[in-house]
Amino acid sequence: MPNYNKITPAVAEQLRAAVGVGRFFYGDEIDPNYAHDEMPIYGKFMPEAAVDVESTEEVSAIMKICSQNKIPVTCRGAGTGLVGGCVPIQGGLVLCTRRMDKILEYDMDNLTVRLQPGVLLKDLAADALTHGLMYPPDPGEKTATVGGNISTNAGGMRAVKYGVTRDYVLALTVVLADGRIVELGKSVCKTSSGYSLLHLMVGSEGTLGIITEMIMKLIPNPVCDVSCLVPFRDVESCIHFVPKIKMANLDPQSIEFMDADIVTSSAAFTGNPIFPETVSNTEVGASVLVTFVGSDAEELDQKMIKLGEIAEAAGALDVLVVATTANKKAAWSARSSFLTAIEADTRLIDEMDVVVPVDKIPAFLIYIRALGEENGIRIRNFGHAGDGNLHIYCCSNELEEDDFKRRVKIIMDAAYTKCAELEGQVSGEHSIGHAKMIYLRESVGEDVFALMGEIKKVFDPDFILNPGKVCDM
Amino acid sequence: MQKSDYKNMWVYIEHDGVTAAPVGLELCCELRKLCDRTGDKLFAVIINPLPEAEEKKIIDCGIDGIIAVRGTGYDFLNTDAYANAFTVLSRKYNPSAIFVGGTIFGRDFAPRFAVQLDTGCTSDAMELDWDPETGDIQFIEPAVGGKIMAVITVPELRPQVGTIRPGTFKYAPPGPRPVVERLEEEINFDPAAIRVRPLNFIPDDADPEMDIANADCVVCVGNGLKDSEHLERYRTLARLLGGKIGCTRPLYDRGILPYKLQIGQSGVMVKTKLYFSFGVSGAVNHTAGVDADVFVAVDKNPDAQIFNYCDYGIVGDMDEVCDELIAQLRAREKD
Amino acid sequence: MLNILVCVKQIPDVDLVKMDPETGNLVRTGVPTLTNPLDLNALEAAVQVKERFGGKITLITMGPPMAEETLRECLAVGGDEAVLITGRPFGGADTLSTSYTIVKASESFGCFDLIFAGKETLDGATGQMASQLAERFDASQISCCFSIEDISDGKVRATRSLETGKEVVEATLPCLITVEKDNFYGRLPNLRAYLDAKTADIAVCTETNIPGLDLEKIGVPGSGTIVPKIYPPELPEPGQIIRTGSVKTDVTRLVELLAEKDAI
Repeated sequence: MPNYNKITPAVAEQLRAAVGVGRFFYGDEIDPNYAHDEMPIYGKFMPEAAVDVESTEEVSAIMKICSQNKIPVTCRGAGTGLVGGCVPIQGGLVLCTRRMDKILEYDMDNLTVRLQPGVLLKDLAADALTHGLMYPPDPGEKTATVGGNISTNAGGMRAVKYGVTRDYVLALTVVLADGRIVELGKSVCKTSSGYSLLHLMVGSEGTLGIITEMIMKLIPNPVCDVSCLVPFRDVESCIHFVPKIKMANLDPQSIEFMDADIVTSSAAFTGNPIFPETVSNTEVGASVLVTFVGSDAEELDQKMIKLGEIAEAAGALDVLVVATTANKKAAWSARSSFLTAIEADTRLIDEMDVVVPVDKIPAFLIYIRALGEENGIRIRNFGHAGDGNLHIYCCSNELEEDDFKRRVKIIMDAAYTKCAELEGQVSGEHSIGHAKMIYLRESVGEDVFALMGEIKKVFDPDFILNPGKVCDM
Repeated sequence: MQKSDYKNMWVYIEHDGVTAAPVGLELCCELRKLCDRTGDKLFAVIINPLPEAEEKKIIDCGIDGIIAVRGTGYDFLNTDAYANAFTVLSRKYNPSAIFVGGTIFGRDFAPRFAVQLDTGCTSDAMELDWDPETGDIQFIEPAVGGKIMAVITVPELRPQVGTIRPGTFKYAPPGPRPVVERLEEEINFDPAAIRVRPLNFIPDDADPEMDIANADCVVCVGNGLKDSEHLERYRTLARLLGGKIGCTRPLYDRGILPYKLQIGQSGVMVKTKLYFSFGVSGAVNHTAGVDADVFVAVDKNPDAQIFNYCDYGIVGDMDEVCDELIAQLRAREKD
Repeated sequence: MLNILVCVKQIPDVDLVKMDPETGNLVRTGVPTLTNPLDLNALEAAVQVKERFGGKITLITMGPPMAEETLRECLAVGGDEAVLITGRPFGGADTLSTSYTIVKASESFGCFDLIFAGKETLDGATGQMASQLAERFDASQISCCFSIEDISDGKVRATRSLETGKEVVEATLPCLITVEKDNFYGRLPNLRAYLDAKTADIAVCTETNIPGLDLEKIGVPGSGTIVPKIYPPELPEPGQIIRTGSVKTDVTRLVELLAEKDAI
């Protein structure tokens, strides 16, 4: 463990001078929310100071001061993470990029956009649309920053068709631990030019450098889209249906899984029961929401007809169509509300977002449900069934916190072991933070974990960038 | 039809036999001003008797006369007998205009007698004006979600019928006229012909949080709210200020808050000392429902129309400003 | 078997309608359309009635030819038959002439026991169409219906919302009903119905094929009201905008100002 220095009043004054008026906060001035992200169960840690940066130059100046004084720096966007990634567990400075929220320019010939890291995902998506373009990655949390999405390599609902955030990052401006500014990547589609530090930076959770500007790839917005909700009597038959959609070569944009529990919570929460809880007098156990995009309605109809055939063969209760703007909006807001709906009616909550090969989803879900039952923890889940990424929430309203943590630990330990057995990964898109480090280590093995540590040292010899995260244990 | 054959304006006084609904009084006060310009007489139409003290309140609103209707069929509010009464009365007296409070009942029966009389009907005017050249009333109301104001007239037919939402006009009685006419009418409607009968009434649970019309302070949350998860801080702020939370129509449509908390022309009209709006764009339909001594607006869009209605405005993230306000108000409490 | 009519309307997305600052006209070209949301709640109520008591649902709308989209959307979730009233002479109608036209056109498609309509539309928002339709159908009316308890012996028993509570009422058929959305959220169509609706026959009524139609009572000539003028709302002068550089200091200033005014 390196020895960090505290932010003395003298250093604080240097930091204050490095940014504009009213953007440096010290001691009591700091927003208490900076002590946690959306998963407070992993502990709250207050920074000694916080700064709202507005430019690459400011970030550089700040990093120079902090590296000279050996002060830990934790970069934070909108604070919507789920693994404690932006939480300053060693104190020090929180560097918040939320004010760097400008979309700088579109290149309509190369279909790229240059922007600052604090732009919110929903704002980028909406703004790109006004240019007839789509930003394909579509993580559930729309109020996350795009910078945060890059730092965690967020995936989202459309990954099954378009891939993940990494696939859309072309170039980054990065401030290194000592304040140097480097440009990684170029605005081109191919590269075969040495180690890709660009891709090393993606998903590095602020442990290798601070992203201050990026060029992202966009695609033309698909002309039309439609979704089908396919309800099943039980979770097993629903999950077994998913690989069949892929096998049928229907190329869906997303395949989202939801169980009955989550649908009920979300209906209560949004006030709009768009996803039915019963279909022809049969209770729905679980449903998948399948979205198709295409160039005309005829093409989409054909895909839906095919989907209808395989759904019937798989024992689906029905196939419902989400085609009108109003229904799409309602379905989208219901789907987006799942996590918040769980949070709203749950006192204690912990999560995992493992990813397993698609054909292993049923095995994993059946296993984890049994685990939950054994340990008296309610398991709720939804997720991107199409890519095997499952968001699993351990919930309780009754247990004492310590007891809850103890039981969840048993479940998590067993679940990650099972996940490894099934050739899965620790995290699909929420990343490691400080919450999942031991599971990462177990999953990748000592050799690989040590290599990660060596890389960290090259970029950040004093370990001041987001200490205690990813591979820093 | 000669428009000049139609004279005088009427206001229907909805009542329960004990008290008159405020909207009737509000309309009388407003129409007194209009009648002074047009030269029409203003009559209050009262179906079934009302206690003298209540009648006096109506007279204080400056009416020129009362048309008191008695007969069968009025034991409970019903569109059949009441629409019929107005059709019969209107054919007899040829009023130029008939105004009805935009309560649920008023909005049910006024459009029906307008059809019976084959005349034009308007709803929800926020302002009334008069064109001396045509002799037509101008019903001015927001349209297309409050983006525009539309002037609506009934250019050829009479009477001109309008339903007006409660709270649109102020109750400010100018005092009685020296002479108040009284016309007694008996209009009988066969009770057996009434097609909708009440069987049972279940009053809503009295929830003080739902009664925002006269709260001292209202914290109104608009469509800028990201989702329900972010709502709690506004409840906290309202509690700190001893006030209540309200919302704009989109939040009701989004299912986040109940209709009873929707502030604006088609919801609750609020009269309050201190009004906070967070993430409210400021459409006329909403602002028309706010009567505040001090109006504070917070929105991230510096060009938002809401800043035209406020006393003090802050441009910024609504959640951040709310959190900061809570923090500072709490600190103030401690001092 | 109940004969049910559901009146629906295709409306422009009012959030996207703009006023041309030069001409003062509303710009509706290119603005996406949708089915009036409250009409979908009314349709859902009708479909629930059909499921419980048996019946046939006829949909009716008046509008430009593209209003057919709304009918197909409604056919997909439970309509059995659809009627589109369209034609230039119907344009510019207010509620007086629209209610006349709808009732006149519907007469060719049966005698209806129940008529469902949206409480109001998001674009016109007069909220008086339903009452005027009820009058012209010579029907009883239950507005703001919260739940439908029973339909039997030529009567409907239902609960409606009033300002201060809920009232259980009994009304004779024919009856026109508008609903609260609480118990009548629209359902998603199933795939078969959705595809069938795309090719379903839609009856088209024009000014030439509605029996007994009085042309003086439709469109602009039949309207009681006109809109001689629209204008942007006049805005009061902006209030004092507090700009001190940070949220924290802005709020501090605000609290000072409110304290000065004794507002807190």
